[in-house]
Amino acid sequence: MYLNNLNPSVKALTILGLVVALALLFDPVTPALFTLCTIAVTFLFGDFRRKYYLFYLIPFTIFAIGMLWTTIAFADAPKNPAETIGLIWWEVPREDVLVALSLSFRVLAFATMSLLFIFTTNMVEFLLSLMQQLRLPPKLAYGIMAGYRFLPMLTTEFRQIRAAHRVRGMGRESRWKRYRRFAVPLLAGAIRKAERTAVAMESKGFTGTRERTFYRNIRVRKKDWLFPAGMGAIFLLLILLSLRFDYFSWYQGQL
Amino acid sequence: MKNWKLKEIVVMSVLSVVFAVVYLAFLPVGKVLTGFFGPIGYDLIFGIWFIVSIIAAYIIRKPGAAFLSETIAATVEVLLGNAAGPMLLISGMIQGLGAESAFAMTGYRRYNLGTLMFSGMMAAVFSFVWGYFQSGYAALAGGYVLLMFVTRLVSGVILAGVAGKALSDALAKTGVLSGFALGKEKRKKHAA
Repeated sequence: MYLNNLNPSVKALTILGLVVALALLFDPVTPALFTLCTIAVTFLFGDFRRKYYLFYLIPFTIFAIGMLWTTIAFADAPKNPAETIGLIWWEVPREDVLVALSLSFRVLAFATMSLLFIFTTNMVEFLLSLMQQLRLPPKLAYGIMAGYRFLPMLTTEFRQIRAAHRVRGMGRESRWKRYRRFAVPLLAGAIRKAERTAVAMESKGFTGTRERTFYRNIRVRKKDWLFPAGMGAIFLLLILLSLRFDYFSWYQGQL
Repeated sequence: MKNWKLKEIVVMSVLSVVFAVVYLAFLPVGKVLTGFFGPIGYDLIFGIWFIVSIIAAYIIRKPGAAFLSETIAATVEVLLGNAAGPMLLISGMIQGLGAESAFAMTGYRRYNLGTLMFSGMMAAVFSFVWGYFQSGYAALAGGYVLLMFVTRLVSGVILAGVAGKALSDALAKTGVLSGFALGKEKRKKHAA
C-alpha cells in the first residue's frame, strides 16, 4: 500500500507541517472536515488491522469530548455574553462553545494524523530513514533502537521481580510503596543491560561514525512527494471552502 | 554527539523508553484529576512529565542529556499511540529545552539539589508558555490561569526535581551507575 511504502521522513515532516498549520486555525469546521479527510486517506491508502484503528480512536474521542467540556466550563468572560447557545439544559455563550469546539476538533485532527503515521510506519525503517535522509547521528539512532528493544524485555523483568517478591512474602503494603519497590530494581536491571548492550555493539565494530554503509538503503523517490502535495492540497481546499462559506477563522490574537 | 560514549546514549534511550511508558500511564491519572478539579488537574502532576530530563542529566552530566532524553521519550510516546498526538513531540522538545536551559545556565558544572529543582521549574515555565498558546489557556479566566501556573511550578520542582534526584540517588546506591558521572561522584565522596 502507498502509505506503508512512503518514505518515513517525508511522511513525518508532512504531518508535522500540517500540525503546525492546523494549530493556527480557530474555527471548528475546518479541523472537523480535515479529520474526516485524514481518516479517509488512512483507510484508502494504508494497510493495517482496521479493528485496532477504531480501538485507538476511541480514547482520542473521549479526550476530545473531555476537552470540550472543560473549555466551556472554565471559560474566560466572553466578549458578547448576549449571544448564547442552549446546551441541553443550560445557556452557554456562543463564543465559548465555538472556541471549545475548534479546540476539540483540533485535538481529533492531530490524533488522526498521528494514527496515520503510527499505523503505517515501521519503527526501524523510520530510524534508518532519519539517519539516511535527515542526518541523525548513527550513534544516537542505533542507541535509540537498542533502547526501544528493551520495552518487551522490561515486561518480562517486571513479572520476574514480582514473582521474586511474592516468593519472599511481599506485596501487602500500600500502592505507593509497591511502586518504589519495583522502580529501583527495574531501572537498575535496565541500566545494567544497556551498558552490556553498548559494550557488545562496540566489540562488534560499531563506531557510530557517519561514514558507514547500510544493509537497507532508504531513499526518497518521486512518488513520495505525492503525499505532501496531496495532503497540502486537501488542506488548502478546505480553507478555500471555509472561506467561501464564511466560517473561516485564522489566528487573530485569540490567545 | 562526539564526546558521548555509546553506553551513555543507550542508557539515556533506555531511561527515555521506560519513562515514556510511565508518562503514558500518568495521562489517564491527569484526566481523572481534571475531571475533579478542571484543567488544573494536569498541573498538579505535571512535574512527572519532566522527570526523565532531570534523571538523565543528573546521571550522565553532558550537554544535551536533558533535551535529548525528553525528546526521545516524547517520540516513543507518539509511536506507542497517545491521546495528544504528534503535538506531544513538540511539547516534549520544549519541556526538554526548559530543563536543559537550567543546566546550561549553571555551565553544566553544578548538579546539586538546587540546580535540579531549578531545572524542574524551568521545564514548567517553558511548557506553560507553550501550553498557553497551544491549548488556548487564554480562553480560561485569568486568576485561574495564574493558579495553574503556580501549581505547575511547584509540581515541576517537587515531582521532577526532588523526586528525580531521589530516584537517581537510590539507583546510584545499587552500584549500577559506577560507570557514569553520578556513580563516579558518589565513589569519590565515599573515598574522601
